[in-house]
Amino acid sequence: MVGLSVGEKHFIQGGIAQDLRSDGRKRLTYRPIYVETGVIPQAHGSARIRLGATDVIASVKAELGKPSALQPDKGKIAIYVDCSPTAAPMFEGRGGEELSTELSVALQRCLLGGKSGSAGSGIDPSSLVIVEGKVCWDLYIDGLVISSDGNLLDALGAAIKAALSNTGIPKVNVASETSGDEQPEVNISDEEFLQFDTSGIPVIVTLTKVGRHYIVDATSEEESQISSAISISINRKGHICGLTKRGGAGLDPSIILDMISVAKHVSEQLINKLDSEIAAAEANEEES
Amino acid sequence: MAAKPGSAPTTYSPSLTQKTRPPIFKGNDLDWVRPDGRGFHQCRPAFFRTGAVNSASGSAYAEFGNTKVIVSVFGPRESKKAMMYSDIGRLNCNVSYTTFATPVRGQGSDHKEFSSMLHKALEGAIMLETFPKTTVDVFALVLESGGSDLPVVISCASLALADAGIMMYDLVAAVSVSCLGKNLVIDPILEEESYQDGSLMLTCMPSRYEVTQLIFTGEWSTPDINEAMQLCLDACGKLGKVMRSCLKEATSASQE
Repeated sequence: MVGLSVGEKHFIQGGIAQDLRSDGRKRLTYRPIYVETGVIPQAHGSARIRLGATDVIASVKAELGKPSALQPDKGKIAIYVDCSPTAAPMFEGRGGEELSTELSVALQRCLLGGKSGSAGSGIDPSSLVIVEGKVCWDLYIDGLVISSDGNLLDALGAAIKAALSNTGIPKVNVASETSGDEQPEVNISDEEFLQFDTSGIPVIVTLTKVGRHYIVDATSEEESQISSAISISINRKGHICGLTKRGGAGLDPSIILDMISVAKHVSEQLINKLDSEIAAAEANEEES
Repeated sequence: MAAKPGSAPTTYSPSLTQKTRPPIFKGNDLDWVRPDGRGFHQCRPAFFRTGAVNSASGSAYAEFGNTKVIVSVFGPRESKKAMMYSDIGRLNCNVSYTTFATPVRGQGSDHKEFSSMLHKALEGAIMLETFPKTTVDVFALVLESGGSDLPVVISCASLALADAGIMMYDLVAAVSVSCLGKNLVIDPILEEESYQDGSLMLTCMPSRYEVTQLIFTGEWSTPDINEAMQLCLDACGKLGKVMRSCLKEATSASQE
């Protein structure tokens, strides 16, 4: 929590009303995004995103597992976020648990879509299956908050998108045909890797309502002012893939629809910006 | 159940009853009928009763088809010593399932995700500044899970809060909509939820026409969002009236 005096609050609110925020941005401008990929060699894919003073890392690990009995043709994807005490002293011990769960749930909802997993999901779970009902990849996506200065959800969403496009999953050769209940023998190749198609993965845009205006990419100072915020995940087609409301105050339904249309507009720029940054980061990584 | 005199002593002999489950939605079938015979835009009949638990400050029981929920509210009572001073009241929400609530025997443990969503749905409606330094506890127990659990819990909890005399701007009514293929079905049951491609849950304060919580999953286009939100808002309005009449009945009964 940021303690702000009445004067500071007025300053922030007044700036937002005049479309000039304390750090010189306009209401709908993001802070510069810095992307680094391949930061964790042990993981199959990883990325670090910096958004002002907000700093997050996402890593993707894949393990061979068994598909669940209910969905034999689908792999499993889990998203978990950890808030490190390095980001803020209040995350120490169990302090970060509440925020971690909130972020994990929001990311699962925004990136993985509905229960059936067919629509709205950025990653196709059926592409993770190796032998139907027997072997599949389990994808573990972990987010880590290193430093927090607001807008964690958007940063984590972007980091996961970058980490997934950096991910190479080893190609698996099924050794022989097995019948019945036997587990088939698999051979994990360490030369050939499969890449994900990440073009369908949505980005998350959080719109914070301050007074009568909406702002994107709020810093923690601005976040402490919020009456309500909406996090919307939008894919390249402009379809909504998930939405969560944060903050207690109620909103008029027409305002929500208005916020959705603003978020759509913002998301187009964000997707393009992010894609070019990810491409640049990957080119950078190959050079070094 | 007394056995007929003279008949053989009844022992437990399971008689095979022919229970055929109607097939659930497949493909793009437009003539599909919902398993319980409802229309796509028809909610289950709602039943509410306040004062279900004597020891609580306020409580309510709700039944929507097979979904059965009980919520008790305790407080406002003094916040725990470890909590820092706060000039507004605290709301503590907890949602748990009984072990027998779900088709597969569950752990009966707390449902963290639902607990935080219940908190977010309610906090906007409660006048927290009316009870500084104190905490209100909302404990919800899902006795039987029959689909749309969270919306039922939220509606029931707001009724329990009203029963406890906690100051609120308005009751909170919650409704969810599932997207099955091209159809939008309101107030889905468990089977429908497991086949859904997307879902929307909306909680609102009907008289103020304000949305306190909104959740989308799955892929939605803008016209679908408009339609689904309108559907939910209308249903919330109707649900709010049912809840209001339940409260009126309870007070008029206690006055007699």
